[in-house]
Amino acid sequence: MSASFEEKSVWIQFGAMSVSLGAYFVIAGRMLASGVREMSAFVSMFIVAVVVMVVFMIVAYVLAALTGKPEDRDERDRLIAWKAEHRSAWLTAVGMLGAVTCMATGVDNVWTANLLLLSLALAEMLGFALKIVYYRRGV
Amino acid sequence: MAQEKLTVSNTIRALRFAADEMTQQTLADRVGVSRQTINAIEAAKYSPSLDVAFRIARTFGKRLDEVFQCRPSQR
Repeated sequence: MSASFEEKSVWIQFGAMSVSLGAYFVIAGRMLASGVREMSAFVSMFIVAVVVMVVFMIVAYVLAALTGKPEDRDERDRLIAWKAEHRSAWLTAVGMLGAVTCMATGVDNVWTANLLLLSLALAEMLGFALKIVYYRRGV
Repeated sequence: MAQEKLTVSNTIRALRFAADEMTQQTLADRVGVSRQTINAIEAAKYSPSLDVAFRIARTFGKRLDEVFQCRPSQR
């Protein structure tokens, strides 16, 4: 695949986030379904997911830097980033509104926090997916 | 206000070959963008800014309209 360093960076972030946060939300979903309500259990699991994500990204960035010279972002990279973020921000807004609604209706804090995290993660994932589409199909 | 859609094409590939088979990487380095951006411009997958368009034209010693052409899109 002939990809610029910026595009490789998007793939790395997309992969790291899919694996680590994907695993977190699968396990968190099962915990919520089985009635676990202690916030500390979710916080510690989330910290592990973030550490795994960071380690995955460091290793992948080193490999990407070894296989190709890192370059500065150019105008196409900036346009793609702007367009993708512009078209994925609505998911964060939906999550925020959902969280506010949860708080107003007295839903458990663990559910509210996970809903907020899910919306942030989905917005980022959608942004990465759109960037990949723009890099591959044109912008 | 309905506006006619335009398709922008270019002759960068032909100009590169005419310029002693200049590589995309060489052109990219001279213009200040990545090789993949030059590739996307050549394939009409990305329309560059005026700044980059002028720098590409200047690299080949051509006028802007000798490098980039524009015609109405076919529906």
